Amino acid sequence: MAAATRSPADTPPPPHEGPPESRLSRLRYRLSVIRHAPTGPLGILLITVLLYLVVAPLVAVLSDSTRVQIGDEGQAHQDPGSLTSYYVWRVFRSPVSELLFWKPLLHTVVVALGVTALAVVLGGSMAWLLTRTDVAGRKWLSTALVVPYMLPSWTFALAWLALFKNSSSGGQIGILEAWGVHTPDWLAYGQLPIIICLGLHYYPFVLLLFGNALRRIDSQLEDSARILGAGRGTVAARITLPLMLPSLSSSVLLVFGRILGTFGTPYILGLPVNYDLLSTSLFRAVNSQQRGVTAVLAGVIVVIGVLAIVVDTRLAREAKRFVTVGGKGAMDRRAPLGRWRRPAFCVALTVFTAAVLVPVVSLALTTVTKTPGVLRADNFTLKYWIADHLEGTPGFPHGVLRGTQLYEAAWNSLRIVGLAALVCGVVGLLIGYVVVRAGHSRVGTLLRQISFLPYMVPGIAFAAAFLSLFAVRRGPVPALYGSISLLVIVLAVTHLPYASRSGISAMTQLGREPEEAAQISGAGWFARLRWIVIPIQRGALVTGVILPFVSGLKELSIVIMLTTSGTELLTTLSINLVDYAYDQMANAVVLVIALVSFLATYFTQRLTKTNLSSGLGG
Amino acid sequence: MPTITLTSVRKSYGSGPPAVDNLNLEIPSGSFTCLLGPSGCGKTTTLRMISGLETLDDGSITVGGRIMDSIRDGLFVPPEKRGMGLVFQNYALWPHLTVAKNVEFGLKVRKTRQAERTERALAALKMMQIEWAADRYPAELSGGQQQRVSLARMLAVSPEVLLLDEPLSNLDAQLRLDMRAELKRIHDETGHTIVFVTHDQLEAMTMATHVVVMEKGVVQQMAPPMDVYSRPANTFVARFVGSPPMNLFDVGGDAFTGAVRERVEDERPGPAGRPATIGVRPEALRLLADTEQATEADFVFEAVVKAALPTGSSTTVLVTAVSTELYLLAYGKVDAAPGATVRCAVRPADLHLFDEEGDRLPEAAAAVPAPAQAEENEENAATWTS
Repeated sequence: MAAATRSPADTPPPPHEGPPESRLSRLRYRLSVIRHAPTGPLGILLITVLLYLVVAPLVAVLSDSTRVQIGDEGQAHQDPGSLTSYYVWRVFRSPVSELLFWKPLLHTVVVALGVTALAVVLGGSMAWLLTRTDVAGRKWLSTALVVPYMLPSWTFALAWLALFKNSSSGGQIGILEAWGVHTPDWLAYGQLPIIICLGLHYYPFVLLLFGNALRRIDSQLEDSARILGAGRGTVAARITLPLMLPSLSSSVLLVFGRILGTFGTPYILGLPVNYDLLSTSLFRAVNSQQRGVTAVLAGVIVVIGVLAIVVDTRLAREAKRFVTVGGKGAMDRRAPLGRWRRPAFCVALTVFTAAVLVPVVSLALTTVTKTPGVLRADNFTLKYWIADHLEGTPGFPHGVLRGTQLYEAAWNSLRIVGLAALVCGVVGLLIGYVVVRAGHSRVGTLLRQISFLPYMVPGIAFAAAFLSLFAVRRGPVPALYGSISLLVIVLAVTHLPYASRSGISAMTQLGREPEEAAQISGAGWFARLRWIVIPIQRGALVTGVILPFVSGLKELSIVIMLTTSGTELLTTLSINLVDYAYDQMANAVVLVIALVSFLATYFTQRLTKTNLSSGLGG
Repeated sequence: MPTITLTSVRKSYGSGPPAVDNLNLEIPSGSFTCLLGPSGCGKTTTLRMISGLETLDDGSITVGGRIMDSIRDGLFVPPEKRGMGLVFQNYALWPHLTVAKNVEFGLKVRKTRQAERTERALAALKMMQIEWAADRYPAELSGGQQQRVSLARMLAVSPEVLLLDEPLSNLDAQLRLDMRAELKRIHDETGHTIVFVTHDQLEAMTMATHVVVMEKGVVQQMAPPMDVYSRPANTFVARFVGSPPMNLFDVGGDAFTGAVRERVEDERPGPAGRPATIGVRPEALRLLADTEQATEADFVFEAVVKAALPTGSSTTVLVTAVSTELYLLAYGKVDAAPGATVRCAVRPADLHLFDEEGDRLPEAAAAVPAPAQAEENEENAATWTS
């Protein structure tokens, strides 16, 4: 006992058994460990399911794009099912590829650049006003200016039409036209309005990212420059701006990724003048049953989306070298604007007016006026909301609040999105549990990476991939198209990156000790989950369910191809009404969605004390 | 009360060097054993392997003759079935349960009746003098109070083995002193086998009946605290235990170390008198007053004072003998102005001698035959570097 035991020589090492037996006993030891703490098997199960739901659809896309589809054997001059480059040729090199791919690609790039520029200018300047100046009404503005992000993105598109629509397409004319101001096509439809509408929707995104970064910059860095004799302008140009570059590049790429997968706005504003983006071109291909072409287009969108994320992570890693860690100087430092306080407020108010007031009010107006833009008492009507019978709209012959369509769609939205959000929240927390418990093992790392994968796939391409996989029966998995479960799965999977990220951070914050303490106290696995882990994580679980729910409610790009007449959601109902050119009713439905989603977001933030920047889901 | 035996235990994380390597340890029944070492030395890993929260890569652990882990037999008893108590560094109280419910939990999962549960929980809380907080939530308590609750939670289920993972490191100085006494009291009252992990040598020295010094996953020495202090097994232990640390210098560095070596070789002929490194504790060095005569046996040398650091009860003096820096600990206040030349004395018996590998050379009286010695050194070296 008292002797030094450093040398193990006094106890001979156990004789080495024959390799098979030793391996067997080692295995028995492992199994015995696993039996009592099934983190590993749970992790492997999650990985398997996620691999199937995330990777299999992408594989299906790849396979569809390289095999002759039934019905195409004539054009491809090959048997159905055989390997072919026909679809790739059709998309990239054929006479129709201009229409199918190249023009939409060009449009996507132009729109993405325009939207990003607009969003960065608006969001960046507003972020600066809110974080670095004493602009009047700061507090109110910081909530008001992110409202556009709480509205479904295509709200702006419908509002745009309500204002600028001319008589060259069907349905009611816009307010300006009604006032006798002719709006040319370039102003009413296509590129310019798409850029403006998406820019108005996405600038809060930049505002939040920029605002966070600006708040985190150590103001000592700026102070040192001032003390060394640099003027305000020089400091901004030489110190602040370079420090902001990482978040600038990040927001540019993220916005770009979103635009790649966005559907509603380009569909509504581009359709009248055949202005296609990649997303709408993909949608057309789906609608015209061209599975091979769909697959190629979806594949291209996925590749571009993945590239954007990869470049973003690269840049972020690069930026870590001069990451601005908040020091003690990272307090709020606001430049006094002096007599410019009020004018600055007016500028911000103008942004709010353009991004929220004008769209919402003009949309609301169209739903309560017979002739758009005429503000006479006898022109107002509530018939689009509550009439029992409407003339001229055979597809929807009553006010939106009457009949069953709205309520059925609302119920569908509620249960499908609700179920998806529930699945998402629970799985997210489970992933967090496994990742934290499994530590740095391969299972934990792999699970974390896989749960992040859907983030890299633009929504509409993911939907197309799901369609490829689940349109037909595959092995034991039945054809899910037209079923609720398909929508639930696709919504859950696409929102999983956010849920699992919050689950991982919640579990990391908790650490493993509370559960280990319970284990030492004698509690088995289920007892630990039931009495310790789940009760402690109740808050995180609620957040993990509510955030996907709110963002899922206004989701359109992902569900548009997957809903059928039985599974109509609020968002798809509104787009259907657009298709029918029942503008007033479409606007009314979108207002309902906007109201629901705004209220849900607002109360969620109040309830869970989270803010939008942590739940940038939709 | 059970004895805990670890045999040839190995554990590694990832591809790096093992966190614990070929660990053989017998923790006697009813002892208060401290696992002591710098952070990353494998002491917490060892504790967690005993508790079952970490699994083994190789070897076996038995507690009171019962196999808890055995790779060879493919046996593993999960932590919840080992009936041990563990106190975590950050207490790990469950934030959603009141103090009483926290303490009752272990009894609840054992399906004890409610009446008995309440009674035993209260008894444990009383023992830790924290019963007044029974209906509060952990967040409402201070760190020291939380620590008491976490001890009560452990004691409520009457485990025979108590494991403590740096339980005092998050407390302030006064509380730490109180809790040390508290832990000693628990040990005396219950007679439990206690295994205590700490990086604080003072904690280990004051509380433990046995100290296990670890470094890089290998046990460096296991002995009662005073033995570890007075006969460190190697230079690592010598440097790690004691504050200020032992002065260590390589022989032949300068005229001073050369003189010390000559003296040592005179006193201890043979290989045992040919150290590579010599150590001397600061309190073994004496400052001689101007007129004071050293005794015949003392080794006396002159040195220049570089700094004097009084703490009140004692003074640490940094001196340079030729070019060797030495710390010297003297009681009370010392008149030693920087730059002054002083005379120092040390009894040769107070010198600690270490060989090239850093291992303690055996005392001259108990000298072992040279070949056997060399062989053992080689083995030690193998362990040291593995």
